[in-house]
Amino acid sequence: MHNRVDKFKETARAEMKNELSQAFLLMLSLGAPIMRQIGMSSFPDPAAAEAYGRAIRTESIERLPELLEEFKKNAQAKGAKVIWARDSAEAKASVLDIAKKRGINYITKGKSMVTEEIGLNEHLISNGVDVFETDLGEVITQMLSRAPFHIVGPALNVPPEEISAVFLKRGVIKQPTVNPVELGKAVREYMREKFRYLDMGIVGVNMAVAETGTIINVENEGNIRMNKSSPRTLVAIMSIEKVVPTMADALHMVRILSRNCTGQKLTGYVSMDTGPKKSDEMDGPEELFIIIVDNGRSEIYRDIKVREILKCIRCGACLNACPIYAKIGGYPYGFSYSGPMGQILNPMLLGIEHTSDLFRACTLCGACKKICPAGIDHPSIILEYRARQIKDRKHQTLSARFENNLATCSSLAMSSSMLWNLAVKTVRPLFNSLAEDGYIRDMPFGAKGWFSCRNLRAMPDKTFHEIWKKLNLPNPDDVRKKETL
Amino acid sequence: MSSQVRNEILSKIKSAQRNDPLPRPQLPFLSERALDREQMLERFTAELTSQTGTVYRAKDRKDAERVLSEIAAAEGFKQVIAVGKNLQGIDIKSFGNSNGITVRTLADLKDREALRKAAFAADAGITSADFAIAETGTLGIIFSKDQPRLASIAPPVHIAIVSIEKLYPVYEDAVKQVFGNVNEIPSQFAFITGPSATADIQAISFKGMHGPTKVIVIFIMGQ
Repeated sequence: MHNRVDKFKETARAEMKNELSQAFLLMLSLGAPIMRQIGMSSFPDPAAAEAYGRAIRTESIERLPELLEEFKKNAQAKGAKVIWARDSAEAKASVLDIAKKRGINYITKGKSMVTEEIGLNEHLISNGVDVFETDLGEVITQMLSRAPFHIVGPALNVPPEEISAVFLKRGVIKQPTVNPVELGKAVREYMREKFRYLDMGIVGVNMAVAETGTIINVENEGNIRMNKSSPRTLVAIMSIEKVVPTMADALHMVRILSRNCTGQKLTGYVSMDTGPKKSDEMDGPEELFIIIVDNGRSEIYRDIKVREILKCIRCGACLNACPIYAKIGGYPYGFSYSGPMGQILNPMLLGIEHTSDLFRACTLCGACKKICPAGIDHPSIILEYRARQIKDRKHQTLSARFENNLATCSSLAMSSSMLWNLAVKTVRPLFNSLAEDGYIRDMPFGAKGWFSCRNLRAMPDKTFHEIWKKLNLPNPDDVRKKETL
Repeated sequence: MSSQVRNEILSKIKSAQRNDPLPRPQLPFLSERALDREQMLERFTAELTSQTGTVYRAKDRKDAERVLSEIAAAEGFKQVIAVGKNLQGIDIKSFGNSNGITVRTLADLKDREALRKAAFAADAGITSADFAIAETGTLGIIFSKDQPRLASIAPPVHIAIVSIEKLYPVYEDAVKQVFGNVNEIPSQFAFITGPSATADIQAISFKGMHGPTKVIVIFIMGQ
């Protein structure tokens, strides 16, 4: 996907002025955590269920190499064709090759974050294979060529008037309507024709079960089941971290995922596919391709301080909990992944030096960490990126260099009281020379950002030590000695 | 070529530092396991009803045919597709004849094309569910030569006939049976909980997105 991370600040500013986005974000940030809470409280022991889910994800990642091999072996034994892709180019080329060899005119697709990450649709369409997203939210974002606003509800914020206009243009509806149900039902009718004559479908994967070679999809709309039922050829695309050890683990994670994602106890459909259809079955895919995509994950895996990013199950709970996301929405993040999960994943996928705005737009409040069903410590990872960026001499910005030098000087000064007192004496008048009416409102050398929302009180002319000396009071040590006598 | 890529990816993660994960905490307790049959039925009904589904109890297969006829009359079915191994003994053709409904069974469908045509044209899909799970009012269906996938997803109404013997407390009860024997794992097993749904526009939720708008479950209580 084309990334616009470099536009973070300006997009965020625009979104904070967009009344529609703000009204919607208010509703989302108030409502979604309550829905999740209601869902989680349906567990007899919510804390135990959460702890168990976190343990499954931790174990899945620590055992990733062997689980991937086991999954591959079992999926192949059941007749699935497993294809590995180092990066987005290899993954896209594989899918295009499958489509071209079968003379496919169009493909329908279930919602899949990794296909957005690698920019699959653009590649297929520019090579003459039409792609139709089928999840209602994705249909809208695809037709509007817009980035997802939220990983669960990519078009939740788009006003019905805008949807109506683009549906009219694309022939989904004949008469304009702003009724969400009518708009949705129109997409149902529009897509039924596509499903009816479909030759190839693409789906993502929520969980890949090592023990059985099974791929699991969790959904409400039924579009994924359509994709898995109607066509002869099915391609399932997963990134390497989707694997879990056993079916029992998968069931527990499905319970956890549903509750954290939408507050449901279970989504409408959970489909579990092991291999292609059997020869005597009338529908289901004759060929099942499972494309396992690395695209930077193995590097994340080797980077022990950030490895836990891979535990993420893409539920979206951290977006709904984040006070920054609640103000700016999904667009500023500029890539498939937004909110706290995007802030920790995107820097590894796009480079720390290009994503500074992402990991700096965080107050380290820890709401994401607290709510995360996978047990990811987002704030620590964000701090790690900040530290790496400051230490990285090659890509150091001017302000980072300044901050770095300032810290070095401070630590030097703090190492001796004589140096410290000397520094204080010199800096104080310089500092106060910037003050007006007792407040400092700006400073040279790029500190403008800091002063954009607060002022600094000017310092008193004399230090505490100086004032104390001048008071000429008795030495406290002498007073104490006298008292003990 | 792919095996080379595979080895490259795997060797990269294999050579990384290994941390031994902590032992798993105790498996969370599932309160549904304590339910008796009547309680399971109540729970199933309450859960499915909350998803706008409907649950009927039929005394036996004859009674199930009566319930089916009532539903068909109320919904105004013209053509249905009926699948599933002998449909719990229901005589589906005679149900069709006596209600003036065209019933297509697998015997009438020669290939995938015929199946797709029938499934997308049908007013309802009648299936025989393999499991009913009390936990969330969920159906469990094993797809096979007797049970094609489209019959429960393409028609706007899905009617599932289930023997009361197949009602279990939690998902694990079904999955253990379906995935227990490695050599008998079906190509697809699915949990279905109520009609298809969405809330993707303005968070307004409604039923009947791409799959059925209505889900009806008929339990056969006796033989």
